[in-house]
This record gives sequence, structure tokens and C-alpha cells, in this order.
Amino acid sequence: MNRVAIILTALGAMGMGEPGAHPAPQHEEPAAIETTAQGVALGAIGRRIAAASPGDVVEIGEGVYRERIRIDRPVTLIARGRVVIDGGGSGDIVEIAAPDVTVRGFIIRNTGADLDGENAAIRALAPRATIENNVLDDVLFGVDLRQSPDSRVAGNRIGGKRLDVARRGDGLRLWRSDRAVVEDNVIHDGRDAILWYSKDVVVRRNVGRNCRYGLHLMFSDGVAITDNEFTDNSVGVYLMYSAGVEVAGNRLIRNRGPSGYGLGLKETDRFAVRDNLIVGNRAGIYVDGSPFTPDRPGEFTGNTLAHNDVGVVFLPSARGNVFTANNFIDNVEQVSVAGRGALDANRFWDGEVGNFWSDYTGYDQNGDGVGDFVHESYTLFENLLDREPALRLFLFSPAQQAVEFVGRAIPAVRPEPKFCDEVPLMRPQPLPACAVVEGGGGGLGLTGAALLAAGAGVIACAAPRRSRPGRILKGATP
Amino acid sequence: MKAAAYPVPALRAPSAVSNTLTIAGRELRDAVRSRWFVLYTLAFAALGLGVSFVSAAGSGGTGLSGFGRTTAGLINLTLLFVPLMALTAGAGSIASDRERGMLAYVFAQPTSPVETLLGKYLGLGAALAACLALGLGACAGALAARGLRTDPSSILWLAGLSVLLAMGMLSVGLLISALARRTSVAVGTAIFVWLALVFVSDLALMAGAVALRLRIEDLFAIALLNPLQVFKMWSLHAADASLDVLGPAGLYASEEFGARLHPIFGASLAAWIVAPLTLAALALSRRSPL
Amino acid sequence: MIQIDHVTRRFGRAVAVDDVSLKVDSGESVALWGANGAGKTTLIRCVLGLLRRRGRITIGGHEVRRRGKAARMLVGYVPQELGFYDELRAEEAIRFFARLKGLRRVEGAEELARVGLEGHGRKRIRELSGGMKQRLALAVALLGDPPVLILDEVTASLDAVGREEFVGLLEGLSGAGRTLLFASHRVDEVSALADRVVMLDKGRVAEVLAGGAFVARMRGGAVLHVHIPAEHRDRAMRALRESGFDPRLNGVGLLVPVAHDQKAGPLQALAQSGAPFSDFEVLSPGRAARGKTRNSEATS
Repeated sequence: MNRVAIILTALGAMGMGEPGAHPAPQHEEPAAIETTAQGVALGAIGRRIAAASPGDVVEIGEGVYRERIRIDRPVTLIARGRVVIDGGGSGDIVEIAAPDVTVRGFIIRNTGADLDGENAAIRALAPRATIENNVLDDVLFGVDLRQSPDSRVAGNRIGGKRLDVARRGDGLRLWRSDRAVVEDNVIHDGRDAILWYSKDVVVRRNVGRNCRYGLHLMFSDGVAITDNEFTDNSVGVYLMYSAGVEVAGNRLIRNRGPSGYGLGLKETDRFAVRDNLIVGNRAGIYVDGSPFTPDRPGEFTGNTLAHNDVGVVFLPSARGNVFTANNFIDNVEQVSVAGRGALDANRFWDGEVGNFWSDYTGYDQNGDGVGDFVHESYTLFENLLDREPALRLFLFSPAQQAVEFVGRAIPAVRPEPKFCDEVPLMRPQPLPACAVVEGGGGGLGLTGAALLAAGAGVIACAAPRRSRPGRILKGATP
Repeated sequence: MKAAAYPVPALRAPSAVSNTLTIAGRELRDAVRSRWFVLYTLAFAALGLGVSFVSAAGSGGTGLSGFGRTTAGLINLTLLFVPLMALTAGAGSIASDRERGMLAYVFAQPTSPVETLLGKYLGLGAALAACLALGLGACAGALAARGLRTDPSSILWLAGLSVLLAMGMLSVGLLISALARRTSVAVGTAIFVWLALVFVSDLALMAGAVALRLRIEDLFAIALLNPLQVFKMWSLHAADASLDVLGPAGLYASEEFGARLHPIFGASLAAWIVAPLTLAALALSRRSPL
Repeated sequence: MIQIDHVTRRFGRAVAVDDVSLKVDSGESVALWGANGAGKTTLIRCVLGLLRRRGRITIGGHEVRRRGKAARMLVGYVPQELGFYDELRAEEAIRFFARLKGLRRVEGAEELARVGLEGHGRKRIRELSGGMKQRLALAVALLGDPPVLILDEVTASLDAVGREEFVGLLEGLSGAGRTLLFASHRVDEVSALADRVVMLDKGRVAEVLAGGAFVARMRGGAVLHVHIPAEHRDRAMRALRESGFDPRLNGVGLLVPVAHDQKAGPLQALAQSGAPFSDFEVLSPGRAARGKTRNSEATS
């Protein structure tokens, strides 16, 4: 018996939960062939399933079906045309209670909004479920795999309920579902896409936006997170208490908010973060207690961190990370060490390989592509910020310059450098392949021209007569 | 006694709006031809281009867009430059007219002091706006030419807000000018006010925030009093729709006020435009203007 | 036309105008006469509504502070010295002030010709001589043919020739039935233009004379205008006072009233004090005196 079942059973016994909404499958035997577990009469799809044999392909024709579906035998359920299953705004909608079930091509919408009841559009309770090419809309939980290893969730579009984040459910949740493959899904307006205790999962080519956590790992080892795009979430990818995680080729963009990180790592081990594009986040990478055990350094290579408020934030607990061949481009603060960590806890070069820093002020006389001076960052203002975050309010103001000027002019108040890179790169590394530069420069040029024209227009209005006085005078005196 | 009563001409005094526009046009023409205008425009454009090139070079030609050093640099430049320009232009205006006797001469015409004040305000404001548009336009052009892909709306916001800031500072400058007896005193006071707004108040607030452990909501409220801070926060808010780049206080502002930040910032800058101008009008019409 | 009732104006503790009452009838020409500091300019600024003051002033029935624009529509004002945008061309200045008076179709050439500035319309104000500037100011004052002209020491900064020409212009204008209120401390000007002379002393009206009576009184003596470099003026003032004269500062030098048979006295006193003086003129009241002035200019 798994933990959820225990909890739910307990809640049910206390009369606080709603056990009927999602019965633990091992207790349930259908009371009658023509009714659901709740005693509700079977709908059209339910009757088709009830009539099917294991291994059958059940095709459902166009229409709007208002029913709850429990798939209790290994069948393939396929929508032919536009098939809508409407939950009517309460409870769950599809429950997969048998292994080797496929659900493909449905539009499933309008679950309940009961967070305690965890109302879900599709809940799988058995191994090897395949959930493909469905559109899930206005759902509290989208796809919920519970002990459903070796499942595949692919090509689905999952849209959460437009609720306050605290009242939303998870667009995708895996619970003890090892070796699942999650690919090519679009998940938006949900809480998290979250993996609990699920090993060796592959998460690739998904898009997550307007969620709390685009992707959240809890105690999930050996997960490969590649080529996804997480934009406009609170956190793009948050790894917690996991190990052996690969994060590569992802686009982590504009993840903002109180704790807005492109990538967060909390007590995670044996990870590699490679070739990601991390742009415009509040903090590009947030490192807290990682790596957790010092046997292997955290590896950050080939990433481009640009235009984040802070490129990388280290908590004092973050030790033993190595950054090489990354681009640090125009982050307001390139690296921050919250609460004054030790300078040498993390390293920004390894052997002959450093990083590219857009604020590097040195030069490269011997032309080997490596700056001749160490890149050190010690600005008094950033130092102040790391201790007094409220002072960020004064960023970009002349007062900031004044403080930094004092820091440069008076060595006595100059802070210790936060980090250094002995072999800084002179030119940025090629952008990761995932960097498709958006927008066009034409608008900017037009804007510039418009502004110039406006200014010139005012001046032209002001000085309409530009004729030379000499000629006028000559004309005036015949 | 000489001849009988002279015929009173059948003329009516022009409306206040007409006079204001006449004076504004005159002031604008004079400003545009003046040395300070040319100097300020060239200096602003040159510094802006410098900022643009340096920041574009910093990104290593990757063409990545976003809120980075470029916008920050332009905001910073505007924060230093626009108040100085507007304060001194305003402060020099009425005081020097008074010194050359021009104020008495214009006031002796069928105009009211308020018309002269508003006319000067609008005329100088238009000149400043032209100066800013030229400078920022050049920057935008340069950035586009370097292949940088910044959202043009952020430049437009910056231009619009810097004009607002300039109008506020011009208003303060005119107040100084209306009160000061001499041009030199007026310009000196303007530079003092500039220093106070640009450096002293922020540094004092920073020290106060740390020493008194100000709550972030108080810190934000106090920052709203400084038009430069308002300009900066508004530019960031407009570019990003969130102030969380400004740390806890900015985050508080974004979460507490959200979209209402636009009217809040607008009200603050509007107050900086209206209040000094009103005081200047009172000073000119109630007190003796000469 | 101009009604001044119990007007008092202070600057701090100093009383510049002290309970002055005066009525100027339509078509009348009234001079404000007095030494520098007697309150002439302050009174004129009060009349123009530029200064706050106690008392009541109306022009053509309009209170000059509360209905200042209406009052000033009736007035053409010429200041001691034209201070205006130096870079402006003369005709642009005319057009600017014409618009302020509600005259839309003014080109400038005609108005400039009226004051003898034809052909100077394209000149910038800074390129005009002192006399030309004053004429430009007069042309501005005459825009819209206002019934009242108010002049404040309009010839003070002009040389003798410029002054004479300017007064000639004014004479032609006052004859046309305009009301004229002007401040002056020049006997010749006042004699030429004034129907009535209000003698101001320390802000108070000391005496009001008819034009004729003023001329008669002034004919007894003359005023010596001595040109002295600025740095020597204090010394010269002291020396003259010690010798029993009553000198006043004026523009480029000192004005010293003297009896008609004592005109060399101040020069002697100055020579003894060692204060250098480069030139002098004898200013006498009345039109006849002007010929004399011109002669003295020519011989110097």
C-alpha cells in the first residue's frame, strides 16, 4: 500500500477527505458492470470500455461526453475527430486502473477545483500507461501518474485553471513512476510539473509557461532534462534532493517573482548543467547546498546567462561548483554570494578554461583569446546588496555609482573580491543551439528614426525662416 | 489741455491660451538657437551613443536582447543629465529675464505673469523634449545599427518618461528662478538641488534604510518622493512589468500595487510638475515679480 | 484716464512711494520729476500693475492688478532701456508683441518706419544702437495705437543727438491727443512734453506745477552734466558736496544744478579734487536751450 493511499484512507475514515472521488484501486471491485464505482450509471464511453476485451482498440466518435471514465482493462482508447470529455466542474475525469492502457487524442476539460481531492483530468494507477496527444484544458491536475512506471506522456497540451497559484494543481505529476518518458508536452497555467521519487525519467522538448515551477524534481535521481523551454514561470527548473541529473539545452527565460530562478538546485548531487540559454530571470542559477556530498563537483558548462538580475546566486552552503566556458552577458549582477560565502568555495575556471564576462575590462595582448588579467569582481555596491538586499531599490541610480566610486577610490572600504576567473575568455562562446534570437532590429531602427524626426521637427518648427539675412537686405534695398 | 479724448482702439486682449502659445513659441525659438541647447543636445547624444556602443560591445555581439546594461546605462545617463539640464534651463530663465529688465517689459504688455510662466514652461519643455528625442533617437539608431534587438517600446517609454522627468525638473527650475533675485544665485541653487536629488537624498535614504532598519514599504514610500527614483522605477516597470529587479522593496511594490503602479508613478511625477509651477505662479503674481 | 489713489509701496522698510494720489486726464501729458530714488520708476511700475502696493490705481477704469490685461491693453510702455532677446530681429520683435496685443496681421516694416527704423527690420536687437533700441521700444509701445503712453526715463541712456531725436518723436505723438505719463529728470524733456509736472521727493508728491510754471522755475538756473569715469564718481560727489553743490548720479556722470552765473563752479571744484572729467554739457530748460546743448557738444 502506498503512502497516498494510506493518507487518503485515513482522511476518509476521519470524514475529512473525499475518498469516493479517487478510491484506492486495490480496494475497489466494480459493484455492478453497468455503474461506476460511485454507483453512477456508465456513460457512452464507459459502456464501450466495459464491452471491450483486453488488448482491444476502442475508438470513440465525435461528440461531447459528460461522464467519468474508469479504464479497468488494458485497452487502447482513441478519439476519432473532436472528442470532448467534460468533467462538469467536479471530481476527476479519466482514471487508468489497468496496466498497458493508451489514451490518445482526446479533449478533456473542466475537472473539479478541489485541491484536497486532487481532481485530475487523467490519473494513472498502473504501469505502462501511454497518454498521447490529448488536450487538457481547465483542469486542476492534468496528468497524474501514481506508481505508473514505464509510462509515456507525450504531445499533450495541458492548461490549468486560471486560479490564484495557491489554488492550482500540478499540470503534470509523477509519483514513484520510474523510467517514464515525458516529451513534447506543453504545460501552462498550472502549479508545477513535478517528479516525486521517480528515477531515470526523461523530460525532453516540453514547454512550460506561466506555472509556479516549470519542472520540479523531488527525490528523483538519474533524470535527464533536455531541450525543454520554461518561460515566465516562478522557477524554470527546480532540482531538490535529487542526484545524477542532467540539464542540457534548455531555454530558461523570464522566470521571475519572489523566488524567480531560471534553474534552482537544492541539495542536489552529481549534476551537469550544459548548454542552456538562461535569460532574463530574476536569478539565472540559484545554488543552495549543491552539490550536497562533496564527491563530485557540480558542473556548469557552455551555458549563456544573459540579462538576469543576478547571473548566479550562491548561498553560503553552495560549495564545490565549477563553471567553465559559460557566457555571462549583461546580468545586472553577474554573481552574487548571499550572506557572504567563501570566495574559493566555487570556481570559475578550470585549468585553462574560464568564462566570458561582458564586464571584463582587461585585454588580450598575446592574442590567445584569454584575457591577460584576472577577472575579479569587487564592487562595493554589490557587496552592500549581498548584505542588505533592500538597497537593490537604488540600483541604476547615480547614488550607486557614487558608492562604487568610493569603493574604487578608497582601498580601505574596498570589499574582498567575490570570485575570480584567472583565464577569462575574450570572446563569448557560441550561443547554445537552443538560442533562437527573437525579435527584430527593424523596430528599433524605426523607433530611432521616429524620435530623431520628432526632435528635428520641433527644431524646424522653431526656426522656420532660415534664409540668409544678407540676401534679404540686398533685396530690400533696390 | 490738448485735444479731446484719444479714440480707444477696438481691440480685445488675446486669450490666455493665445498669449501662452505666443510666448512659448518665442521661448522655444530662443532656446533652440541658444548655445546651451546645442551643447546639451550634443553632449546628451554623445554620451548616449557612448553608453550604447560600450554596452553593445559588452554583449560580445551575441545580439541577445533583454534588460541589460544598455537600458540601465541609458536610464543612468538620463538620471544624471536630464535633471541637470532641466533645472539649470529653468533656473536661468526667469532670473536672467529679470536681470535684463525683460521680465518687467513683457509684464508691462497686456499679458499676465501666469501666461509668461506657462509660456516659458511649454517653450523650454518643448526644447528639452526635442533635445531628448534627438539624443535617444540617435542611441536607438546606433543600437539598431549594431544589430541589437531591444524591444523598441522600452526606448519609447524611456523617451516619454524622460520628457516627464524633464518637465518636473523644469518646473522646479522655474520656481527657483521665480524666487531668486539673481541669475547666478538661481543657477547655483539649481545645481545644489540637482546634487541633492541625484546623490544626497539617495545616499541619505540608503544610510537611513540600513541604520533605522526601515521597513521596505516605508522605503518604497519615501523613494516615491524623489522624482528621479520615480522615473527610474517607472522606466523599469514599463520595460519589465515587474520591479523585482529592485529587490524586496520593488517586489513589494509590484505585488502590492501591480498595474496601479502606473498611476502611482504618474501622480508622483505630476505632483513634481504641478506643485512647483503653481508655487512659481503664485510667487510671480502675488509677490512682486520684478 | 489714469487714476492713482493713496498709493504706497515699500521695499522692506524703505518707503519707495508714499501715499501718492494723482489723476491724469485723457489727452493730458504729465511728467514725474525728481531725483534718482524719488520713486518715479516705482510709481510707474505700480501704474503698470507690475508691483503690489497699497491704494488703488485704474487706467481707463480698469484696476491695474485685478484687470491688468485690460488696463495694459490701453497702454504703450517704453522702458529706460530695452531688454529683450538679443538674437531677435527687429521685425520679429514687432510681430511678437503685436501678437501679445492681439494684432495678427502685422509685418513689422510699417511699424518700424513710423519710428524712423525703415530698413533695419532684419537687424538683430544686439546689433542696434541705443537710440535705435529705444525707437524699437517706442514702435512696440505704439502697436495697436494705445491711448496711453507710459515712459520711464526713456532717454537716460542715449547720447545728446539720440535724445533730441527721440524727444522730437515723442512731441509728435503727444500732440495727437494721447495721454502721456513719463518720468524724467531732464528739464528740456519735461519742458518740451509736459502739461503738468509732479515733483516727487522721497516717494511723496512734493508739489504739482503746470508746465509753464515749471519752465519758469527752471529757467533761473541750469544743470551741468559732467562725464566722469565710474571709479572716480564717489570722489567727485564728495568734492562737489564740500563745495556746496548738490550733485546727482546719472548714467555716464553727474548732474549738478547750478545758478545761471555759476556754471564753471563745479568744474573748478572737480579740478581741485583731482577727479578726472572728460566732457560736460550744460542742460537748460526750454526748447531754446537745446540749441545751446548741441553747441556745447560740438565744441567739446
